Amino acid sequence: MKVSLRHLLAAIALLAPLPVLAQTPVNERHALSSGGRVEISNVAGSVTVRGWDRNEVQLTGTLGDGQRLDVQNSANRVQLKVVYPQNSRNSRGAVLELRVPRGSELQAGTVSAALDVADVDLRRLQASTVSGGIRANGQAGESSLTSVSGAIRSQLRTSRLELRSVSGAINAAGTSGGEVSANSVSGGVELDLSAVQRLDVETVSGSLGVRSAGLQPGGRISLQTVSAPITLTLPARTSAQLKVKSFSGSIRSDVGEVERPRYGPGSHLDARIGGGDGDITINSHSGSVRVSLGGR
Amino acid sequence: MNERIPDHDTGHDVLAARLRQLPAERLPPAAAWQRIAAQLQEEPRLPAAAAVATPATRRRRWLPTAAAAAVAALALFGAGHWWGQQDRPVPAPAAQASPLEVQADALADAYQQAIASIPQDTVPAELVPALHELDASAGSIRTAIAQSPDAGFLLGQLRRTYALRLELTRQGLAPAGLPT
Repeated sequence: MKVSLRHLLAAIALLAPLPVLAQTPVNERHALSSGGRVEISNVAGSVTVRGWDRNEVQLTGTLGDGQRLDVQNSANRVQLKVVYPQNSRNSRGAVLELRVPRGSELQAGTVSAALDVADVDLRRLQASTVSGGIRANGQAGESSLTSVSGAIRSQLRTSRLELRSVSGAINAAGTSGGEVSANSVSGGVELDLSAVQRLDVETVSGSLGVRSAGLQPGGRISLQTVSAPITLTLPARTSAQLKVKSFSGSIRSDVGEVERPRYGPGSHLDARIGGGDGDITINSHSGSVRVSLGGR
Repeated sequence: MNERIPDHDTGHDVLAARLRQLPAERLPPAAAWQRIAAQLQEEPRLPAAAAVATPATRRRRWLPTAAAAAVAALALFGAGHWWGQQDRPVPAPAAQASPLEVQADALADAYQQAIASIPQDTVPAELVPALHELDASAGSIRTAIAQSPDAGFLLGQLRRTYALRLELTRQGLAPAGLPT
């Protein structure tokens, strides 16, 4: 019995260092001038970004087997890129945590690595992934979140928000007012926004749901889809001219009358909401349209 | 036009069946001409009515077959002409295609040429489902444009879809992988 236990302990002692050897710790620090740009690129694993009040960039975490970190930096720019070995399909991705200065510009790109950005105050945020998914919280002057199949979840406070996806779902909430655009092919788009100045949302077949605290004076909302349902919820105090048009989808609205041509398909609705200051345009080919004025 | 095709086929089948029933080609038996000559010499002895009746009867027997053959030949000619027209890519007259469709076709041609110029074997596996999704969506949009030729917003959708398709296909060319 004692021999067996000794053998077992020896086996554990031999195997234990293997995962440790396969991973390489990362600890990089680089100064960055105010308003400088930070770029990070990683294929798999994860990238977590947090803001701080120092004028430097810090990258910590671990690299997987055979991976190396390529760093290029100047006073105004820090580029961090995880280089993967050829045929690295089975190796674990790099797990990284990045600290970025307040007021900097962040450009982050991944393939399957999840991207999590929070507690930041950025001049500009550009995040893109293929399938990894993006979560973004915090503040940014301008924001662009792009995905192919990964989901995008944003709670950014930003004056200009751009969201793009092919099949990944887009979900944005919080105080993203100002200018917002969201484009998706088949991924659903769900937006819960403060009063917007300009909102453009397009999908081909992804469902489209928008709830907004209203339109800023002279604001504009444009929603378009080919075949997906559209729902728009606005407060009753909204002031806008509403135009809805659909080729074969149904139109339901709390305001206005749906008109249909005597012959042939199609229906449209033109209505004035409140003072009619802003413009709301909804176009659908075959998706249904629902406009509610029961929002906040 | 489509409804008439089964008639043509039916006529063709009837004709084919009758053709199959026709006697096969045979070699004349030995001394056939001698017997024919003998019968010709005996012919004046037959009643006039009988002499006329024999070829007339033969003509009447062949009349329905000949008529059917003529009808079937016309039908086959008509069907062949019709199929010929179907196989040939008929350029749609400009008046039939809406301006939106013309623009959509031009847009599709331009992007498809651009996409075709990119080596497709470099596209990463991660992007393949998305590229299929984009291709299917472009097809859906073009169908919608054909159905609703005054929906200008669809052209923008199509342009955006093709642009994204091109962009993702190009990303596959990046030597260091996605994204850079």
